[in-house]
Amino acid sequence: MKTQGERWTPLLVTLVVAIGLTLMPLPQLLEPFRPYWVALVMIFWCLEAQDLVNLGNAFAIGLLLDVLTGSLLGMHALGLVILIYLVKRFRARLRFFPPWQQALSVLALLLNDRIIVLWIVSLKGDTLPSPTFWLAPFISTLLWPWIFLLLDRYRGRARHRGGS
Amino acid sequence: MVSPHSTVGGKFSEQTSLTARLMLYGLLAVVLMAMDHRGQYVPRMRHLAGYLVEPVYHVVDWPVGALRDVFGFFRSGTTLRRENERLRHQLLSQQGKLQRLQALTGENQRLRALLDGVAGQPFEFHYAELIEVDLDPFSHKVIINQGSADGVVAGQAAIDGAGVMGQVEDVHLHYSSVRLISDPSHALPVQLNRTGLRTVAFGMGDTHYLNLPTVPREADVREGDLLVTSGLGDRFPSGYPVAVVASINRQEGQTFAEVRARPLAALDRGREVLLITPVVVMGPPAELAVEPPAEISDDAAEATESGVAEPAAAQPAILAPASTATDDSAAGDAAPAELNAPAEGNTAAAENTPAEEIAPSDEIAPAEGSAAAADTAPAEDNAPAASTEPAASDDSGDGA
Repeated sequence: MKTQGERWTPLLVTLVVAIGLTLMPLPQLLEPFRPYWVALVMIFWCLEAQDLVNLGNAFAIGLLLDVLTGSLLGMHALGLVILIYLVKRFRARLRFFPPWQQALSVLALLLNDRIIVLWIVSLKGDTLPSPTFWLAPFISTLLWPWIFLLLDRYRGRARHRGGS
Repeated sequence: MVSPHSTVGGKFSEQTSLTARLMLYGLLAVVLMAMDHRGQYVPRMRHLAGYLVEPVYHVVDWPVGALRDVFGFFRSGTTLRRENERLRHQLLSQQGKLQRLQALTGENQRLRALLDGVAGQPFEFHYAELIEVDLDPFSHKVIINQGSADGVVAGQAAIDGAGVMGQVEDVHLHYSSVRLISDPSHALPVQLNRTGLRTVAFGMGDTHYLNLPTVPREADVREGDLLVTSGLGDRFPSGYPVAVVASINRQEGQTFAEVRARPLAALDRGREVLLITPVVVMGPPAELAVEPPAEISDDAAEATESGVAEPAAAQPAILAPASTATDDSAAGDAAPAELNAPAEGNTAAAENTPAEEIAPSDEIAPAEGSAAAADTAPAEDNAPAASTEPAASDDSGDGA
């Protein structure tokens, strides 16, 4: 049996990488294509290790992301809380979907997240984003099966190393 | 977190508690956003949190910098020589322009001196680089690698080689965030370089355009006109290029034309930033500071005897009442600290009431034991020439 600390390590490592990828500069052209890394990682851990992810730490990670990216404090937090809520709600079904169907559900979740962002941005009185704003969820969806496999393998190895 | 409702039949209550927590966190997030948007408390929290996340920026920035170094290392000698050549030419032409500029600056200062105008304020420039992190596309901020440790202060103007970029908003130890002029909450006082028309350029949330909503429909604005900072608002020094007018739409029946301008600075792709610091000269103007007080009081005595009140002569302590009586506007500004209370009282009296009533107010004053009033009171009885102060108060009495 592993200690509590060891169970958290893979989640923390993947989150740090995801946050790094979020802040990593991209060429201006590729910028709209940047997947929502943190959300993908959170969805994965919520599906695979439900007790590690709850609304509380989704909120906290959202706030951290808000501070780091300089967005309105609470914007990412609200998005992630709603996202994790939905995943938890439909977890039983999502887990046993075939990969393509799971990817489509991820698309739905991320599009929902974008709608929330759009709502906040329009309430704030900013100009509405360009159509490329909607590209990121599709890129994330295309990447999802691979990210899932990668994270699953990493999780398996971490578990193996833990000596369970 | 392990849910407390894990018994058989706890499915429903688990669902309910999940929904309840969603409501709670959702509400919290909305409240935070509202407070952040209105600038209450939250910016302060964000500022403190900024110190914690500081290392993250440097960690993310590091591989990019390292990559650039590696690429720089492998650049061929010919490329470097060519670039060197090009930069040398550029430097020469810029220096040529600068020589002319120095002559113009000198001429400008002389003309200002002739007109008794305010001398142009000198500026210093601090070089800073952008930290390569991609922020939220809606935030219109960039992070620079200089912080309070390097002398950056909030509100400083940031420019790049082509024009104004924005202003420093949040200063941390080794980095600060700069709000770009394209932010929808940013307004920049500008001036049309060709006609001198003053207006305000608002950000639109788009790095390619600024909005000028207050240009009258009939105003003389053309596409391609240069907008420079007007210096109003005291944030941005005047005369720096901001944008070029890109489109004008004059609708019939509208008061204002719809004007869009294209920012000159590379808001979305710049790398180098210059921070402008006004060189502040502390203390009074030089000609007042070097003169010994005694000399001034002599001058002042002459001035009061000849019946001419000079604002500059009101500086020494003993002359405060005199100047109150003769030139109340100057005394209000120049009265020394220890005499402030009585001087102000006199000023108020002088301003509000006819000059005849100053004398009674002076007579009442000695009861308070203030130095100024005690000096003026004997003047009512003694000979006028006894000291400078009585002379002054008599002057005022005569004048009234």
